[in-house]
Amino acid sequence: MVLPWWIIVVVAFATCGIIGKTGKIAFWQSFLAIFLLWVGYALFKSLPNDNILANRVAVMTGVKLWWALLLVTGLLSGLAAGISGYCGYHFRKAMLIKKTDEKIA
Amino acid sequence: MNKIKALFCILVPIFLTFLFNTKIGTTPPLLKFLNPFMGFWQNAENNHFMFNHKVKIKGTIDQVEIVFDDRMIPHIFAQNDHDLYLAQGYVTAMHRLWQMDFQTRFAAGRISEVVGPKAIEVDRYQRRMGMVYGAENSLKGMMADPKAKEMILAYTAGINAYIKTLSSTNYPIEYKILDYKPEDWTPIKCALLLKQMSAVLAMGSDEFYMTNILKKFGPDITKDLFPDYPFREDPIIPVGTKWDFSPLPIPKTPASFTKALTGDVKTKEKIEGIGSNNWALSGSKTASGMPILANDPHLDLTLPSIWYQIQLHAPGVNAYGVSLPGAPGIIIGFNQKIAWGVTNVAADVLDFYQIKFKDSTHNEYWYNNKWNNTNKRLEAIKIRGQKDEIDTVYYTHHGPVVYFQKPKYVRANNVPIGDALRWIAHEQSNELMTFYYLNRGHNYADYRKALTYYTAPAQNFVFASVENDISITPNGKFPLKWKDQGKFILDGTDPAYDWHGWIPTAQNPTVKNPPRGFVSSANQSSTDPTYPYYINWEFSPYERGKRINDRLAVMKNANLDSIRLMQTDNYSIMAQNLLPAVLPLVNPDLLNATQKEALSYVNKWNKRYDANEIAASIFEIWTKRLTFNIWNDKFEVKGIPMRYPSRDRTIEMILKEPNSRWYDNTATTKVETLSDLVNEAFKYSCDSLERRFGPIKKDWCWANVKQTNVPHLAKIPGFGSKILMIGGAKSTINAISESNGPSWRMVIELGKTPKGHGVYPGGQSGNPGSKFYDNMVDSWANGQLYDLFYMQSSTDKSAKIISRLKISK
Repeated sequence: MVLPWWIIVVVAFATCGIIGKTGKIAFWQSFLAIFLLWVGYALFKSLPNDNILANRVAVMTGVKLWWALLLVTGLLSGLAAGISGYCGYHFRKAMLIKKTDEKIA
Repeated sequence: MNKIKALFCILVPIFLTFLFNTKIGTTPPLLKFLNPFMGFWQNAENNHFMFNHKVKIKGTIDQVEIVFDDRMIPHIFAQNDHDLYLAQGYVTAMHRLWQMDFQTRFAAGRISEVVGPKAIEVDRYQRRMGMVYGAENSLKGMMADPKAKEMILAYTAGINAYIKTLSSTNYPIEYKILDYKPEDWTPIKCALLLKQMSAVLAMGSDEFYMTNILKKFGPDITKDLFPDYPFREDPIIPVGTKWDFSPLPIPKTPASFTKALTGDVKTKEKIEGIGSNNWALSGSKTASGMPILANDPHLDLTLPSIWYQIQLHAPGVNAYGVSLPGAPGIIIGFNQKIAWGVTNVAADVLDFYQIKFKDSTHNEYWYNNKWNNTNKRLEAIKIRGQKDEIDTVYYTHHGPVVYFQKPKYVRANNVPIGDALRWIAHEQSNELMTFYYLNRGHNYADYRKALTYYTAPAQNFVFASVENDISITPNGKFPLKWKDQGKFILDGTDPAYDWHGWIPTAQNPTVKNPPRGFVSSANQSSTDPTYPYYINWEFSPYERGKRINDRLAVMKNANLDSIRLMQTDNYSIMAQNLLPAVLPLVNPDLLNATQKEALSYVNKWNKRYDANEIAASIFEIWTKRLTFNIWNDKFEVKGIPMRYPSRDRTIEMILKEPNSRWYDNTATTKVETLSDLVNEAFKYSCDSLERRFGPIKKDWCWANVKQTNVPHLAKIPGFGSKILMIGGAKSTINAISESNGPSWRMVIELGKTPKGHGVYPGGQSGNPGSKFYDNMVDSWANGQLYDLFYMQSSTDKSAKIISRLKISK
């Protein structure tokens, strides 16, 4: 069973919501994790293909070089995960402050 | 405050998800597309390991063995016809699913469904020309034949069995780029694919232009500049061949037509590239004593290729050749005993009829002295992101009325407004059986029988057999017409202008074993003027056909290389005919240094459009500009679509009428002569090359000007080939232009075992992520042919096998 790509959004949000220490850590750890995962798996598919497809798609998208396309894959997915992680952490923070507000009140 | 912050933190990830999951303009959903687990990275095939596979398909009767050779060509070994065509459907879908989907969608006018409203005019044109209507009729014809029905249903089942194995992870990449899903194959799509071939090859019609020309210039000039037979010709059926039948009475030319041509009554275009070459040599001219047959169909070159190589082996059939993804059978190829091939006839089988409607509701039209009802056909065009558009098309007994208003669409330029279309592709038909019988044919009689099933697009079928018979037949269902019926727009109110029946198939022009020892065709006139019936008033220019016949006439002891080298012959008969007339007219005193140097190149030229020839570039642009200079001021008038006289007529005028009034440019007060136009055109050619490439150097060479390349079928950048620096031109046998040319080159040496050789500019796989996507392009560019593996069994050691597929029930 393969999950759709946006599972990274959900997982990053949830993970950082539960165990996130700071906003900065939430962003960078999510970013790095997904960047490495996606770039790693893309290479796993592309290298035995001698990067033929990656080169063609790179021309199609305008980045021209296959490893530039790899970088874009990692950066965009990393960004999506990082932002989601950051949002997850701050969501929990916002809910906690709300709780303490209510407790005090 | 915190509530807002919390809300924001929820909304941002959701927004990101939607942003990266939605197609924006032509950009695919970014992260969906870039996802290495399900996106395009999954289409990157492993280049280093090939695997054997087993698959179970319900409905298979017996076991099928498919072996793939080292060019990924499938050799199918089945135990019966049903399984054979099921397997053909399966493997073709395995390699070319998206191509089959895209081409049939295009034919059916369903592109807007995928790309949105920008394709509405494209789709509307297909619906209005009656493509789906024609496919429905064609399918009726095929399903009425039990054999054709079995073939189509099995082929459909095979394709669908493959589609079932797909999940979105392994959709072909174009689905991921365009963000849509494969849909099930249905029998009508086979019919649509065949109709699309008719559209490519038999949708030519200049009558709108011709009628405008007749109105503007009158009948005398029209007859002079647009004659019904070229002044130089080398017809397909050799001059002197006797017709061994008594022709049907030709329908009478209506008086109103003759009156129109004599000017008393006021009446109310095809790019060169739609063509091909084929020829066959009898054993008397070959080294082996057995026939050699060659064919190279000229079509738009694309990746993936329009053709798919395949071998079909089952009880009663063992044929190898190229197939069309979307239709079962082998279209061009050979078997143990015979070989066959096709070139386009381009018969006059598309006519426009001027309709007199009662009123603007278009519910009734005048015909045969009374009002008749039209039929309304509602075409629903689905549009991505929008409501369906319902288009109403009015059908008369002739056919659909195509346009009431001129659309903004280039392909519709030659369609007159308010006129009904009669087109051969609207008829019931059963072309598949022609190829069914050719695939299984043993001899000349089988060939003749196969031809009787063929309707459209009419082709010159070349044939050779191990019994040392050769033959060629311009063949199709030809309407029985009076001379020139269809050269101009026809009167839709008068039954005398209807199609009056058909030429009996047995009376289609044909020749068998002519004394000259060879047959050939290159889309020139089917016959000399003695043939009793009207097929068309204009065919392709004769230069290719003449060059082929000149070379074959002197050929002795021909072998594979004699023929292979002929297919890539770059010598231009047009240059041979034209240069002696125009070169002397160039005045060197009026030329600058670059132009003088250019002139010296042309003077030394060997008339070959070879890749490195600078003279070829100069000559090509020069002659195009000369044609423009002669005709543009008269035939390019805003609001009156017309066309130029043919190349043949223009060359005749240059050679025989040096003082013709037509050289004068009516837009200027000066009276121009041929010499003025020739000099202007020559300078223009040199100047434009200099503007583009700088002073004369290697960059001026023909290959660099022509820029031959093989683009992707949907023109996706990066998915096409690089620029191929090769020679060839439309006026030579090697008829290559920028992206049109020999889509398949084949040479078959018949004998105890046939030796087949072939190549096409592409690869068997439609996946740009496969090493078999374009692996044959370079060989094709180099003029080489692969030896084709004609296997006798699935364990035949003569072939290099790289993987196997077993299909069982």
